[in-house]
Amino acid sequence: MKFKLKYLISLIITILALISCERDDICLDEITPHLTIRFYDKDDLTITKKVSNIRVQIIGIEGDYTGNDDNNTITSSTDSILIPLRVDQDITKFILTSNSTNEVEINADTLIVNYTPEAVFIGRSCGYKAVFKNLDYSFIDENIDTLNWIKDIELITENIEDETIANVKIFH
Amino acid sequence: MKLLQMLKYFINTAFLLSCIVSLSQENSLQLKDTIIQNKYGLRVGIDLFNPVNSFFDEDRKGLELVGDYRVSKKFYVAAELGYLENTTDEDFINFTTNGSYLKAGFDYNAYTNWLDMENAIYVGMRYGFSTFSQTLNNFTINNEAFLDDLAVAESGQKFDNLNAHWVEFVLGIKAELFNNLFLGFSFSGKKMITTKEPDNFKNLFVPGFNRVFLNNSGFGFNYTLSYLIPLYKKEK
Repeated sequence: MKFKLKYLISLIITILALISCERDDICLDEITPHLTIRFYDKDDLTITKKVSNIRVQIIGIEGDYTGNDDNNTITSSTDSILIPLRVDQDITKFILTSNSTNEVEINADTLIVNYTPEAVFIGRSCGYKAVFKNLDYSFIDENIDTLNWIKDIELITENIEDETIANVKIFH
Repeated sequence: MKLLQMLKYFINTAFLLSCIVSLSQENSLQLKDTIIQNKYGLRVGIDLFNPVNSFFDEDRKGLELVGDYRVSKKFYVAAELGYLENTTDEDFINFTTNGSYLKAGFDYNAYTNWLDMENAIYVGMRYGFSTFSQTLNNFTINNEAFLDDLAVAESGQKFDNLNAHWVEFVLGIKAELFNNLFLGFSFSGKKMITTKEPDNFKNLFVPGFNRVFLNNSGFGFNYTLSYLIPLYKKEK
């Protein structure tokens, strides 16, 4: 049996080129999802109601959370926000301030979220993301009803696995 | 005058005769040489890349033995056996793979040697499999940059009894340095067939296969020094 050297070499090089490796060193997949809050009207529970000049602070980190470059920025008037949850513990406390630019109507409430974080493998460059299970929400009741701008909270999803739908309703 | 001429004549003839004699001697030597023989035997060797590389790269340690056996003028049965311990450090994960592998297949020497040289430019295929364990040393949960100060690096776990099967296409060269000692270099393109993955993780590195890319392909090369144990000779 005799095969010409040049044809064999080019055959093998073609096979090797077809196998060619697909690089995976940039993280393009979704990472840890945010908590998606939708604001509704306390008087008509099915209609969304925008919050003016909302200010978000996460207890444990200095500074205001102004949003993610990708999709969500905390704007001056919005009916839904995405905020990140801490993965180093199973509770995150937020201070949500409505009308933060208005000296008279400014009102800060504390939202408490409890959950169980779970690590899920994504890939080589993204590593692991966290999903949040068994969500539980509460807010600090300031005794006299009129002092809270958050009047009620309703759970939508028990787990946060992605950012496709809202996870919790806040009525104000 | 006549004497000088006769002397010239004799010297010339003697010279010519001696040439003819020596020519005929060469002829009889050549008759023996035209029966060129190829050496057949078991060639065993060692890969030099991993031992040398481990001086520079602390993350990769291993040893590979190579061998092949000639079955016909152009075909060799070939195998590689080795072990490898490799630590991979990525942005959010750091893991160590530890295991051994075996590859077996054939090589076809497509090069025609001159005279009795035993060099080879070959193409080949291998079936490879490996048994190994992965240890996830630590990982960081990929969260938003705003929470980076609170990022947690968790120490991970060990995954045992993993395995992988793959196929390789090999392109290589072997050159005889001197009597029965060969220096070789080969490049291989690999494609994963099947693999036992760990739970909530992935085999991103497999001993013998090296880095596993997104489409389950990989590549490798080795640089070998081997010795041919000659068993018999056959006519070329």
